[in-house]
Amino acid sequence: MLLVAGVDIGNSTTEAAIAKIDGPKLEFIASGIDKTTGIKGTKKNIRGIINALEKALDNSPYQLKDLSIVLLNEATPVIGDIAMETITETIITESTIIGHNPSTPGGVGFGTGKTIAFKDFINYLGNESLIPLVNDSYDFADVAAVVNRKVDQGIKVAGLIVQNNDGVLINNRLKNTIPIVDEVKFIDKVPVGMPAAVEVAESGKTIETLSNPFGIATVFNLDPEETKMVVPISRALIGNRSAVVIKTPEGDVQARRIPAGKLQIFGQRHKAEVDIEDGADEIMQSTEKVRPIIDVRGEPGTNVGGMLERVRAVMSNLTDQPIETMAIQDILGVDTFVPKAVTGGVAGESALESAVGLAAMVKTNQLPIKQIAEELEKIINVKVEIEGVEANMAILGALTTPGSAKPLAIVDIGGGSTDAALITARDEIYYTHLAGAGDMVTMLIKAELGLDSLILAEDIKCHPLAKVESLFHIRMEDGSVKFFKEPLEPRVFSRVVVLNGDKMEPIETEHSMERIRTVRREAKRKVFVTNTIRALKRIAPHDNIRLLDFVTIVGGSALDFEVPEMITEALAGYKIVAGRANIRGIMGPRNAVATGLVISYYNNLKNRSN
Amino acid sequence: MDINPKLIEEIVSQVLLKINNSPKEEKADAVSHSQDMILTEVGPAKKGTNPKEVVIGIGAAFSKKMHYTIKRIPHSVVLREVIAGIEEEGCVARVVRITRTTDVGFITNYAAKLAGSGIGIGIQSKGTTVISHKDLDPLTNLELFPLAPLITPDRYRAIGRNAAKYAKGESPIPVEVLLDQTVLPIYQPVAVLLHNRETSDVVIGGPHLEIEYKFAK
Repeated sequence: MLLVAGVDIGNSTTEAAIAKIDGPKLEFIASGIDKTTGIKGTKKNIRGIINALEKALDNSPYQLKDLSIVLLNEATPVIGDIAMETITETIITESTIIGHNPSTPGGVGFGTGKTIAFKDFINYLGNESLIPLVNDSYDFADVAAVVNRKVDQGIKVAGLIVQNNDGVLINNRLKNTIPIVDEVKFIDKVPVGMPAAVEVAESGKTIETLSNPFGIATVFNLDPEETKMVVPISRALIGNRSAVVIKTPEGDVQARRIPAGKLQIFGQRHKAEVDIEDGADEIMQSTEKVRPIIDVRGEPGTNVGGMLERVRAVMSNLTDQPIETMAIQDILGVDTFVPKAVTGGVAGESALESAVGLAAMVKTNQLPIKQIAEELEKIINVKVEIEGVEANMAILGALTTPGSAKPLAIVDIGGGSTDAALITARDEIYYTHLAGAGDMVTMLIKAELGLDSLILAEDIKCHPLAKVESLFHIRMEDGSVKFFKEPLEPRVFSRVVVLNGDKMEPIETEHSMERIRTVRREAKRKVFVTNTIRALKRIAPHDNIRLLDFVTIVGGSALDFEVPEMITEALAGYKIVAGRANIRGIMGPRNAVATGLVISYYNNLKNRSN
Repeated sequence: MDINPKLIEEIVSQVLLKINNSPKEEKADAVSHSQDMILTEVGPAKKGTNPKEVVIGIGAAFSKKMHYTIKRIPHSVVLREVIAGIEEEGCVARVVRITRTTDVGFITNYAAKLAGSGIGIGIQSKGTTVISHKDLDPLTNLELFPLAPLITPDRYRAIGRNAAKYAKGESPIPVEVLLDQTVLPIYQPVAVLLHNRETSDVVIGGPHLEIEYKFAK
């Protein structure tokens, strides 16, 4: 009898499968999983290998020394990295307060008048319509009293622009309701003596006049040429509950595109050059046109040039190989939005700027798996062998899924790269590795929600959300309610939380649950679904996904609570049977490679004895 | 600085002696005046039913025997700012005097239980403040501001604002809590005195009193 162990070293986990081979009989007896120690492909992995083996053996009557042989896989030497560049920038030159949407503006209505400092307003006696600018040295009760007195004197007050969060307080003390925009942080920057318009919509509604270019044109008597200029202003105000627009002689809002640089994509036969500012679609189309890709370079001295250089440097460090040999084999571009402070803003406002996230994948020379094998052999005193290539092993493992058959394609979405492999009916194996996977989704979530912590972004990626509505019940993201007998922790009260099993982790932002959910699902769709289809296209006969029959999803991200469904749904359109693998009918999507290693060893034994 | 507990004890006992020997104040009226604020006790407080109501529980001596926080912020300013914060969010503030305890956790808990929204704010006369919910244990809280000397008027406003946001079911980002370890040695003795002072006004098993408030502006 032989006791055989297969070990798969992944980026984040190391998995083991242990089987008994008794003559022609192969019987799996145990499996184990533990964290990968160190970076995949380095000697530091040994600790993790032993841990995984011991965990597996815990469930069996055997010990480490009883093993006949340990099989390692030849890990694919691909490593991915990610980066992001903003490509637009909003610049205001004193014409408006855009992107500013105070949660509680005061009053309601629309008013136009000339801006005036509050200290001058106190003594004003003319008959112009006014919009006083109230800085934080005035108390809300005093402001209201002065405005009431002035209105009694017959002064026309069209609205107020206030520095403090006092809008409702002032309005509650006024005799007549006027629109009040508050929380204007840098009120001193608002120009004085200029025609301006203030609009506040009723709670639950959005402004109508200032978000319409013709509305602004009507208010300020603009000619058609000038009306064209205000389009970015109205666009930025759409969806706001309150707004201020000030007409200044040279005032302007620009949505400028930042020159982020060009990407040069070198294919085997062709070469393409694409501007980052053209966005992700353009980048991906060029990539498809010139593939297979030999290398990708960024224009030196630009943002994208620096970004790709960084990727190369990280990879060369990791693999201990010279930076010149680091060739980028694939890139994935994703369009996204990042909240950024508006240049020249007076209310500390921010605007959602377009950005492009880029994942790049580098193929290096062989990882030093041989050295790991030798070292491991010395430590555990068991024969260690390198059994085969990762993709082939994964396929062998995946074929143990009940209901699957050749030709079978597998998709393995990891942290750094998306891998796919296909075994045809004639046992030919094709495989591909693509840039962009779990880490990129985490980056997109972090950027779009403006989070500080990568750990929180990771949590949001992995688990469903809920809103704690009282200390005894939460509302899940699907709308259902869950009750509790014991009161929940006060720190989660009234917050959106990530549900990690029984644990709740509060997300301390002001984003609603719906928004966080949309961001999460969009990020997954943009990376996981796009990449699955891209990968399958590369391995499918004649680049035609429809010619595939069975697709199984393996690896850690197949355990994600929504990704397999998303992929199944996307592939259903191609008439493909796609779903989560179930290795050996019991392991779920885990343990494919480890299982494959053992099966491969068993097959070789059988062939030799024949 | 070396803080000797014995020294503190000595100072406290001496100051207490002086206080006790000073001429007794007249029994406090149901109406307490300060320059900017009039608080009138109008009878036992009832449980509110208005869902947008946040209850502010004040200590036994608040604006009665004591008129300033430990940082010399007038109680009129403290209460006005907290109420303004609540009003700005579109909620309603009700003020209740909690006479049976000076423990700020319990003051807040009683306040929260009286509030239509279930959200209460407790303020000790020395300035320590807590936001809590009626279903929480008295010694837990939603937000706690333990170092009274570091609470400024704009923070009191933010505390009111956040309490109102909880009442509305929103998820406010908690008000920043400043921590400064040097505050403890500097203010500890004074805090003990102020707390004692307020505790001397506690009525065992006393009622929660509804307060009508009026500000000069």
